[in-house]
Amino acid sequence: MDLKSLRIQRRRQFWGEIVPYLGYVMQSGVAVLLLFMFIAFSAWYTSLVQHIPEGLPIRWIMLVLLLPLIVRSSVRTYLRSPDIVFLLPQESKMKEYLSGSWVSGVLYKFIGLALVFLTAWPLYVRSDTAPKSFWTFLLLLCILKIISSYGGWKELSMVSLRAAKGYHLLRWAVMALALSAWLWEPVGKSLIYVLLVIATYLFALSYPVKHLVAWERLIAKEESQVGRVMLVLGWFVNVPEQQQRVYPRRIFSRAGNRIVWKPIAAYKYLLTKSFVRSDILGIMLRAGVLGFLLVWWTRGTMLGSGIYLFFLFLIGVQLSSLQRYHKESFWLSIYPIPANSRQRNVTSFVFQVHLIVAVILWLPLLRDGWVHISLTFSTLALGIVMSCIVRVILSRKGNKEDNDDE
Amino acid sequence: MSDTPVLEIQGLTGGYSLNRPVLHDVNFQVGTGEMIGLIGLNGAGKSTTMKHILGLMTPQKGDIRVKGKKREEDSETYHSALAFVPESPLLYEEMTVREHLEFTARAYGVSKEDFEERSGKLSALFRMEDKMDSLSIHLSKGMKQKVMIMCAFVARPSLYIIDEPFLGLDPLGIRSLLDFMVELKAGGASILLSSHILSTIENYCDRFIVMHQGIIIAHGTLQQIAEQAGKPGAPLEELFYTLVQGRI
Repeated sequence: MDLKSLRIQRRRQFWGEIVPYLGYVMQSGVAVLLLFMFIAFSAWYTSLVQHIPEGLPIRWIMLVLLLPLIVRSSVRTYLRSPDIVFLLPQESKMKEYLSGSWVSGVLYKFIGLALVFLTAWPLYVRSDTAPKSFWTFLLLLCILKIISSYGGWKELSMVSLRAAKGYHLLRWAVMALALSAWLWEPVGKSLIYVLLVIATYLFALSYPVKHLVAWERLIAKEESQVGRVMLVLGWFVNVPEQQQRVYPRRIFSRAGNRIVWKPIAAYKYLLTKSFVRSDILGIMLRAGVLGFLLVWWTRGTMLGSGIYLFFLFLIGVQLSSLQRYHKESFWLSIYPIPANSRQRNVTSFVFQVHLIVAVILWLPLLRDGWVHISLTFSTLALGIVMSCIVRVILSRKGNKEDNDDE
Repeated sequence: MSDTPVLEIQGLTGGYSLNRPVLHDVNFQVGTGEMIGLIGLNGAGKSTTMKHILGLMTPQKGDIRVKGKKREEDSETYHSALAFVPESPLLYEEMTVREHLEFTARAYGVSKEDFEERSGKLSALFRMEDKMDSLSIHLSKGMKQKVMIMCAFVARPSLYIIDEPFLGLDPLGIRSLLDFMVELKAGGASILLSSHILSTIENYCDRFIVMHQGIIIAHGTLQQIAEQAGKPGAPLEELFYTLVQGRI
């Protein structure tokens, strides 16, 4: 079997399924929204570059912008569960199959990293007291990205899950140290330091016991990545339900336990449990923290209110995707759950969470006390209105889908 | 035993395509406190019959009544009277064992006190106490099957539809399941059980329904089936073999 062609064929098949949805995504108004956001960002960024604030912590900004893009690595393998049976006999030749996946994974991620770097470059070069040269900086990013992706790949092959988690943390630390040294120290000194750190890291990577091919972990990873693609598409169009990655998050294990003990609220219980262990909560928390910091930073200005509403909108879109959860669940058609309670539960759950987020995101605006009182409270009022609009849209969409199903 | 059967199937014809029905004029009843064994070769129509009872498929002809009610008349009452154990475990990967039981109890309107008592008993019976707070994604296939069984039993409806429950269960699990089914039966519950392990169900079921190519070819007690097969005193496995042999 030609394993290289098999991977190419699977990749083509996957994109063949995804591409038709992209047209619908564009029609859903996202193209206009993206264009608007791009224009607004360009205007804001141009103004920022022209009037750089005194003492802008540019090295910290570069570190925060670039580090996650260097460390985050994912590889699309297109592996499936039956491969454990049918491709296992060819395990020794799987390098042929997987090398293409790894190269594409590094290449596309590096393009993303380079684009962010290019965008941030004018700000960096104008505000840093001793900026590094463009090409050496880009070359260093390229090297760090390759090393990080290699490390990420080795983590996937490690036999011990605990070791894989430890090495994941180590990778974050190594990349943070290397990038910080590059940003804060002179070129010569930092390069020696980066080389030493990387050499030690590569040496450490050779220690843990690894699978030749970590079949189960790669398949689970692939499933979760397909789930994420479908999750994003699901914000705009109806796509088939995919199994999402599950995060244990023991800290939230009691969430939903106090929901009223009645069949009419049974679905809310299920939804709460699914939500706290889903990708959606993770994405929402990250967006929430970023939004909170930006609102804090720009509080007392119209821009601050705009950022507040933007992040609230973004989180509303995220939460709305809960409507697709368990839509095709077997047990919901067997269990005696009252008709329409699923839709009502989803709408009320999304509204409640969105409202809580609206208040939390608004808190940084209170820091200015009574100075911008009218702006502060009108921003909150707009936030609450936005939550209500999301609720109405969700409810109408649900009713329409229920009617279509009937 | 009350007069109204818990499950009543009359003239059921159905399948995936109108032109090629899988089931042909299927008729049978399950009375209160009865355990009925539904047996047949692969593709005989056992799972299709169950899917029709569960409302996952709509009959092309005929009626299905659970406690005298059709699904179209009152879906909630219909579904609250039955619980299902599928052949392959279908679990929410993001929920723990305890949460599965709690979700089922909430959906079936079981009180919190009854839920606590039943889930404690079931977890002990199936030796799942130390797995109650594990996510289902981390369970073995046999454990997942136990969760399915525990979910059905925590609901305590009038009728249990159980499809191949022994697959993946360890010998102690099979024994626990059989003992619990006997206990439920004694308490008035009705069970429609499909299995290929004929030697195991032979001693537990009150009656048997033998299906072949979508038709009921024999039904009744072990003795009645033996008479129909012309082999009095023979074990169920042999009777089944005799009944289907000439029809393959």
